[in-house]
Amino acid sequence: MTGLLATNRAMFWRIIRRLLSANRGRLFVMLLALGAGAAVTAALLNLQVDAKRRLTTEFRTFGPNVVVSPRDSSDGSKVLAESLFDHVPNHAPAGEVSKAAFLYGVVEVSVLPEDAKPSEASAGTKAVLVGYKHSYIHPERVLPNALAQYEERTNFISSLRCAVGQKLAAAVGLTQPGVLELSGPGIRRSYTALVLPSTGGPEDSQVFIYLDVAQELLGRPKTVSLIQVNAPGNPKQIEDFVASLQTEIPDATGRPIRQFTEAQAKIYDRISGVLNYTVGIVLLLTALCVMAAMTNVAMERKMDVGLMKAIGGATRRVLRLFLVEAALLGFAGGLIGAAAGIFLSIGLGKAVFGVAARPRLIVYPVAVALTVIVAILSAFPLRRLATIRPASVFRGEE
Amino acid sequence: MFLRLVTDSFGRRPRRKLLTGAALALGMAVATAALSVALDVGDRLAKEFRSLGANLLVTPQADSLPLEIGGVDYRPVNAGAYLPEADLPKLKTIFWHNNIIAFAPILEMYASVATTPDAANSPNNVQVIGTWADYHIYLSDGSTFRTGIDKTSPWFHVDGRWFAPDAGTLKRVNVFPPDLPPGAAGGHTHVPIPDECVVGVHLARRLSLHAGDHVYITYPNREDMQNYLGKPSIGCAVTGILTAGAAEDDAVLMPLISVDRLARQGPGEYRKLYVSALTKPEDDFARRDPKTMNAGEFERWSCSPYVSSIAYSIKQVLPGADVRVIRRVAEGEGQILTRVRMLLWLVTGMALLAAAVAVGASSAASVIERRTEIGLMKALGAGSATVGFLLVAEQLLLAFVGGGVGYTLGIILARLLGEKIFGVAPEPTLLVFLVVIGLAAVVTLLGSAIPLRRASLYDPAPILRGE
Repeated sequence: MTGLLATNRAMFWRIIRRLLSANRGRLFVMLLALGAGAAVTAALLNLQVDAKRRLTTEFRTFGPNVVVSPRDSSDGSKVLAESLFDHVPNHAPAGEVSKAAFLYGVVEVSVLPEDAKPSEASAGTKAVLVGYKHSYIHPERVLPNALAQYEERTNFISSLRCAVGQKLAAAVGLTQPGVLELSGPGIRRSYTALVLPSTGGPEDSQVFIYLDVAQELLGRPKTVSLIQVNAPGNPKQIEDFVASLQTEIPDATGRPIRQFTEAQAKIYDRISGVLNYTVGIVLLLTALCVMAAMTNVAMERKMDVGLMKAIGGATRRVLRLFLVEAALLGFAGGLIGAAAGIFLSIGLGKAVFGVAARPRLIVYPVAVALTVIVAILSAFPLRRLATIRPASVFRGEE
Repeated sequence: MFLRLVTDSFGRRPRRKLLTGAALALGMAVATAALSVALDVGDRLAKEFRSLGANLLVTPQADSLPLEIGGVDYRPVNAGAYLPEADLPKLKTIFWHNNIIAFAPILEMYASVATTPDAANSPNNVQVIGTWADYHIYLSDGSTFRTGIDKTSPWFHVDGRWFAPDAGTLKRVNVFPPDLPPGAAGGHTHVPIPDECVVGVHLARRLSLHAGDHVYITYPNREDMQNYLGKPSIGCAVTGILTAGAAEDDAVLMPLISVDRLARQGPGEYRKLYVSALTKPEDDFARRDPKTMNAGEFERWSCSPYVSSIAYSIKQVLPGADVRVIRRVAEGEGQILTRVRMLLWLVTGMALLAAAVAVGASSAASVIERRTEIGLMKALGAGSATVGFLLVAEQLLLAFVGGGVGYTLGIILARLLGEKIFGVAPEPTLLVFLVVIGLAAVVTLLGSAIPLRRASLYDPAPILRGE
C-alpha cells in the first residue's frame, strides 16, 4: 500500500515536472506575467510605506512648526530664560527635533567706511537685531533658509560677524562685504557683515548675529524672546510633542504654528489618499490582468486534461495536478518578482526622494503569497475542464 | 477573404478572445486610471497647497524698514509709505488673474482697547489690524471675486463670524419725507453702518470678551478722533473670536477702510498685501534673472505661472509696489509638489509596465495555441507574410476593442478616485485615450511578435501531425 502511494507520489511529481518543462515558451510567458505582477506589488507596497514617512520629512522644509513663547506675550517685552532652550528635547518618538532660540531687539545700524575710526560712523538706521543659536541638528529646518545656507557656506562660527537682510543692506547702503556698526543700549561695536539673499519674509530687513553677542548688545543677558522648534512626524505626533513639551516648560507656552501644521494635515491626507487609492487600484487591476492572462494559458491545457481523463485519471487528481502546477509557478514567479521588486523600489526611492527606500521585509512574503493566490485562482477555470468529454476533445469538437 | 478570416476567428472562438480581451481591457483600465490621476493630481495638489497661505508679499517700494518682531510692526504710524486700496482690483486684470486665488491688504496700528468707553487712558499696546474679510470685488466681466484674509490665511478660525466688509462706512439711503412738497424730488442721506471687529483669542481671554460684546478702541491721535467722531473712542461690536496660532491672537481685526480713516484720516491705504497664487514649481529656468533673458526666453518665462513671473506681472499693475516671493512657502511647496508628481508618475509607469507585461503574455499565449491553425493555413499555401499579417490584424482589432473598453473602465475608476480624494473628478482627456489605445496596440504586437515570428517559421507537416 505504502509502495503504491510512493509510486503514485513519484508519478505525480513526474507529471508536474513534465508539465512545466514541456513547453518552455509557455513557462516563460507565465513566469513573466506572474513575476511582473509580483515585482510591481512588492515595489508599490514598499514605496507606499516609505513615501509616507518621507513626506513627513519633506514637510519639515517649511520651517519651524512649534513656537515656544513667554506665557503672556501681549506687550512683547517679556522674555524667556535662555536655560529653557536646553529643556526642549532633542529627540521625539518620531525622530530628531531641530530647535533654535531667538532674541529680538531694536538697534541702530550704520555702515563704517573701511578706513574710518569707529566714532566716525554716520547716523544709524533703526533695525531689528536677531540673536540666534541652534542645536546643530538640521539648522535649516528652524532658521530662515538664507541664513542656514549662509552658515553652511561660510562655516560661520565667529562672533565678529553678522548677516544682514537684503532690504536692510540696501537701506544702509552696504555693499558686500562691509563693516557694520551696531549700537544697542550703551554698547557700540563693529562687525564684518555679509548680505543674505532675499527670503521675502521679515528676515529681509533684519540683522542676524550670534545670541551671546545680541544679548550683550541689547543688554539682556541670558534671555531669549522665543524658541522655534521643528518637530518631526505627522500632525498628530506634533500635537503629542507639544503636549509633552508643555510639561517640560511650565513657565512658557508651546503652541503649534497653525499655518503649517494645518496645511500639512490637509495636504498629507490628500497625498496619502492619492497613494493609497492609486496603489490599491493598480494592485487589484494588475492581479486581475495577470489572472486573465494566466487563465488564457491554462485553457490551452484542454488536450492534456482530455488525455489524462481518457487514460483513467480521476477528475480530482487531474485538477490537483494543475493546481499544484499553478501554485509552483506562482511561487517561482513571486520569488523572482519580489527579488526584482527590491531593486525596483530602491531605484524608485532614489529617483523620487534621493534616498533609497528602506526595504520592508514584510512586504516580500506578502507579495509572494499574493502571487501564489492569483496563480491558483487563475487555474480555477480548469475546473470546468473536468466536465469535458475526452472523446470530443480529441475529435476537435470543443 | 481576409476580412472573413478575421471576423470568423472572432466569432468562432468568443471565449478565448474574451479572455485575451479581458486581460487587455483590465490592463488598459489600470493605465487609464493611473494616467488620468497622474495628469490631474498636480493641479489639484497645487490648489491644496494654497492652504499654506500667501506666497507673495507686496510692500510699498518707498517704505522705511519695518521694525517687525514676531509678526508685529513697531514703527510709528507716520513712518513709511502706503499703497492705495483702490488699486487692488487691478490684480484681477493681470495676465495671470486666474492664478490669483486670493489677496488681502494689511494695515497695522496700535491703539488702546478697552471694554468700557471711559478706559481710554490705558496704554496703546494692542495691535489693530485693518484688512479685508469676505470682501467682494466686482470685476469688469460682471462676476464678483471674493477675497480677504479668510482666504489668504485659511487656517484662521473664527468662532462667530467675520466683520461685515462695509462695517464702519456710510450707507447712502434714499429718503422720501411724507410731507414732501408737490414736485420736489426725494433726497438721500448717509447712515453709518455700525463698526464691527474680530478679536484674537488671547486678547479676548485677557479682556474676557465674547462674541456679541463691545470693545472701545482709542487710536493715538485722540484729537483727530475727537474732531471727527465727537468722542475719543470708537465702539465696535465683536462679531467673532479669532484663533490664528500667531501674533493675530493678540490683535483686533477690523475693516481696512475703517482703521485707516480713524487712525490716519487716510483714504484707505495699506502697508502689506498678501497674495496667494497658484504657481508652477520653480526650475532652474525660473530662477534666472529676467533681465538676463533674451526676448524668446522672456516670453517663455512670463508665459509660465512661475511664482516669480506672477510677482513680475503684479508689479506692473501696482505702481510703487515691491513684490517679493515668500521663499519658505514657495520653495517648500515646489519641492513637495515635484516629489509627489514624480512619485505618481512612477506609480503610473509601474502600472503601465505590469499591465503591458500581462497583456503581452496573454497575447503571446493566444498565438502559441494557434499553431495548428497556422500549420493548416501554410499547408494550404499561405505565405508566412500572409499568415503574419492576418494574425497581426486580428491582434490589432482586439487591441482597439480591449483598449476602448479598458479606457471607459479606467475613466470611471479615475472619476471615482478623483471624487473620493479631491471631491472633483478629473476631466477625461483625448491625450490619455490616444496613449492608451497606442499602448494597447504596441503591447499586443510586442507580445505576439516572438511567437508570430516562430509561427512563420513552422513547418506545417509536423504540426498537423500533432508533433
